[in-house]
Amino acid sequence: MKKEKGSKDSDKPEEALLEMGKFYFVNGKYDQAIDELKKAIEINSGNPEIYYNLGLVYESRNQPEEAKKMYKKAIAISPKYKLAKEHLDKLIGL
Amino acid sequence: MKKYQFLVVGLGVFGTNVAKILSQKGAEVLVIDNDEKKIQEISPFVTQAIVADATDEKTLRSIGAGDIDIAIVAIGENMEASILTTLLLRELGVKQILVKNINPLHAKIAAKVGADRIVYPEVEVAHKVAESFLSPNIFEVIKLSQEYNVSEVGVLKKFWGKNLKELDIRAKYGVNVIAIKRKAPFVTDSGESDFKEEVNIAPGPEEELNEGDRIIVIGKENDIEKLK
Repeated sequence: MKKEKGSKDSDKPEEALLEMGKFYFVNGKYDQAIDELKKAIEINSGNPEIYYNLGLVYESRNQPEEAKKMYKKAIAISPKYKLAKEHLDKLIGL
Repeated sequence: MKKYQFLVVGLGVFGTNVAKILSQKGAEVLVIDNDEKKIQEISPFVTQAIVADATDEKTLRSIGAGDIDIAIVAIGENMEASILTTLLLRELGVKQILVKNINPLHAKIAAKVGADRIVYPEVEVAHKVAESFLSPNIFEVIKLSQEYNVSEVGVLKKFWGKNLKELDIRAKYGVNVIAIKRKAPFVTDSGESDFKEEVNIAPGPEEELNEGDRIIVIGKENDIEKLK
């Protein structure tokens, strides 16, 4: 189907990689999830959701320090990112 | 079940938090401190908050300290006040007295004058912080005795994809797996991803361990160390 101009995917070419990243994350394929999400960042380093999802993957892999870095990046781009804040606060111990 | 009556003396960070937690859990909590401001602040959270000098026997009698089941002497720096309060509470018949340690000498004297238990919150936290740097794969430790711990440990890579029966952790490492903590990732209908934490208590032998899992193990500290 032809995408309309201004639709979500045409505005954000990294979306497909982000979705792949989420797919791998949900299926516990953490290495693949990280690969896809890093590729997404190469295309658009200003999308906070990619960093948030990377944070989730690192946290799920018991790598809290890496996860914190990613949540901080997500919040730096989008200061009102509630889920990223919640995860970061929990890891910091707030 | 009998509802215990608690007395918390001294509203520093430790005393305040102990009082609040006990109250939240439904206990009857009486607190005393000689700082009026602190008493006003904690008043909404506890059964009764009184401005009083805990080293004065008459005051302690007048507030009914003798009927208290468990007293927590959480006086922060004044060693003399802490010891005197402990002594008076013991003489008044408080059933159990727990004293927050100020220094080793204070701990010794407090025990001599009647403390049933000395607690070392700063030391305990210091141990946890130090351990978290030395053993980043061990996320939580509860000391059962000098020798035995219950610990939450990240699963080693060599365990991934194997079940508990195959791994035979008890025979190989001398520790028992009592639970598995696992993150269950999900994506909502609106596309937001997150995970929830699931705990599998007393996992069966067929339970497989995977990347990101944490096992709760009970065993000797030295044996648990081998899992890190």
